[in-house]
Amino acid sequence: MATAQSDHIRQAIDLRNSRPRSSKAIDWIRTKPEGGITVLFATVLICVIAAALAFPGFRFLSEANIAVTLKAIAPLGIMALGVGVLMIAGEFDLSVGSLYSFCAIVTATLTAQWGGDVNAEGASAVAPFLAMIVGLAIGTAAGALHAVVTLRFNIPSFITTLGAMLMWRGATLLYHGANSLRYKPSEPFATVFGGSVGVVHASMIWFLLLAVAFYFLLHHHKIGNHFYAVGGNRNAAVAIGINPARTKIIAFAIAGCMAALAGIVAGVRVSSIQPGGGAGLELVAIAACVIGGHALMGGRGSILGIVLGTALMFTIQDVLLLVRAPGFYFEMFVGGLIVIAVIMNMAIRRKS
Amino acid sequence: MTTLEVIAPLERPITGLQPDVLPLLEMRDVTKRYGGFVALNKMNFFVGPNEVVGLLGDNGAGKSTLVKMMSGINPPTSGQIYANGKPVHFNCRADSEAAGIETIYQDIALVDSMSITRNIFLGREMTNTWGFMDHDAMTAKAIEILGSAVQISGIDDPNKEVGFLSGGQKQAVAIARAVHFKRNILLLDEPTSALSVRETEHLLAYVRDLKAQGTSSVLVTHNLYHAFQVCDRFVVMSHGTKVYEARKEDTSIEEVTYHVIRT
Repeated sequence: MATAQSDHIRQAIDLRNSRPRSSKAIDWIRTKPEGGITVLFATVLICVIAAALAFPGFRFLSEANIAVTLKAIAPLGIMALGVGVLMIAGEFDLSVGSLYSFCAIVTATLTAQWGGDVNAEGASAVAPFLAMIVGLAIGTAAGALHAVVTLRFNIPSFITTLGAMLMWRGATLLYHGANSLRYKPSEPFATVFGGSVGVVHASMIWFLLLAVAFYFLLHHHKIGNHFYAVGGNRNAAVAIGINPARTKIIAFAIAGCMAALAGIVAGVRVSSIQPGGGAGLELVAIAACVIGGHALMGGRGSILGIVLGTALMFTIQDVLLLVRAPGFYFEMFVGGLIVIAVIMNMAIRRKS
Repeated sequence: MTTLEVIAPLERPITGLQPDVLPLLEMRDVTKRYGGFVALNKMNFFVGPNEVVGLLGDNGAGKSTLVKMMSGINPPTSGQIYANGKPVHFNCRADSEAAGIETIYQDIALVDSMSITRNIFLGREMTNTWGFMDHDAMTAKAIEILGSAVQISGIDDPNKEVGFLSGGQKQAVAIARAVHFKRNILLLDEPTSALSVRETEHLLAYVRDLKAQGTSSVLVTHNLYHAFQVCDRFVVMSHGTKVYEARKEDTSIEEVTYHVIRT
């Protein structure tokens, strides 16, 4: 009896599944937040590639340019993965930029102290890994701390992490000072995080592996489901038996850990760490998520959106660099892009 | 020496009925304070096996507070709750779920940005041992749930976002979810507020069916006619306490109405 009553639903689903692929794709673009960004990214990419083929002077497709762009995407992309997950759970962490510097500085200092520098006598192969574990642990613990303070005193995470941003920035200067720090870890660490396969830098491979892992965590694991629920409607999540505090602590910890990893990966790439290098990155990471279709209030977003949002920003930056536009054009473009992306998402949502 | 005559308010006589069989759920002298405000004042309430209790009262009488307490998301300040005669503590949703209670909330408790399937299985995902969800199994089950229970008008896609549904459809999803997972008691907090006439009739008939199958219900409503269609017993609340209680055969709709508006 129960099955017979559901037949009309099954028929409707079969009908939808039997439609041509093109109309399914249009549906996906219209209903998913990442659909719009996919179209936008594909359009930009096609235009740029066409321009590169038409004008040989525009070296977008040169091997060196592709390698540089892929290298540049990874650190911000890794950070944006954490920030995006936290945004879905309905919170912000403005301190990820400061944590990025702080954790990288700690990791680099410990690497040198424990004899993990490539030029040290009898350079230790394990030291860089141990130092990295410490760095990631600090990032994770800091994220969890932000969560506990936010939840315990019931204040907006915007405020907690605004304070934390300044605090970690100060802590970086206290711990190390304002000089840049050499970071040349020994092998095999240097290859694992700084090598490359063809034009693809190791950091890009790590970013893609993490994106796949986060895809499964967010879209297929129940904790991901809980992130969406807590961010989408906190009261409903409580009523249905989800512990919002636990869920948010996990999300904050992930954001902190990813910020630390981003800092370390970026440090390995340029072999040195600037204590102020992470300043402003938190907003760029949030911008990448918003361009990728994340809702500022939580509950909406996807890993594909984060990856494409980051990629789109760096593609535009790269194009502007190639045409030798001054740096401020990038900021102007990204500024405009954020607003356009949100307008587009709202328009798509209203239509469907 | 003269003795002073003490003029003290009399102990309020206990209003209401005593359970004649072991109740599925009983609350004795439960009080809920929010700072200085007393939302529930020494309330006694029970749900017997195989009965539908109508919980009535004007706005702000404490009905929703009581329902939230029974569903575990609003622990009592003082007082004791018994499930099947054993004292229990309802501190979170998991505690009431263990007692076999499901709730349909007045404010619906669905996440707009998630699909119908994900909403139905929220907090109760079908997962493998690693915690990864089995989407196909959940979708198949959701299709079954949507077809049975309350016939939900116009929903033909379990992967549709709940935000795109109408108010009645949302309520129907919440009802379908609670009905599917209920074991002993179903709490319905103003379940018909967004439903059409046909959907309301369907839901009330369903509550009667559930009773026949051995599931008790508590129906919170403003509509006394709906209450009289399905309830076996009526509890009228006012200012956080019980002011009237009677079995259906011992009262009339006029008498219940009188007690709701009197206070």
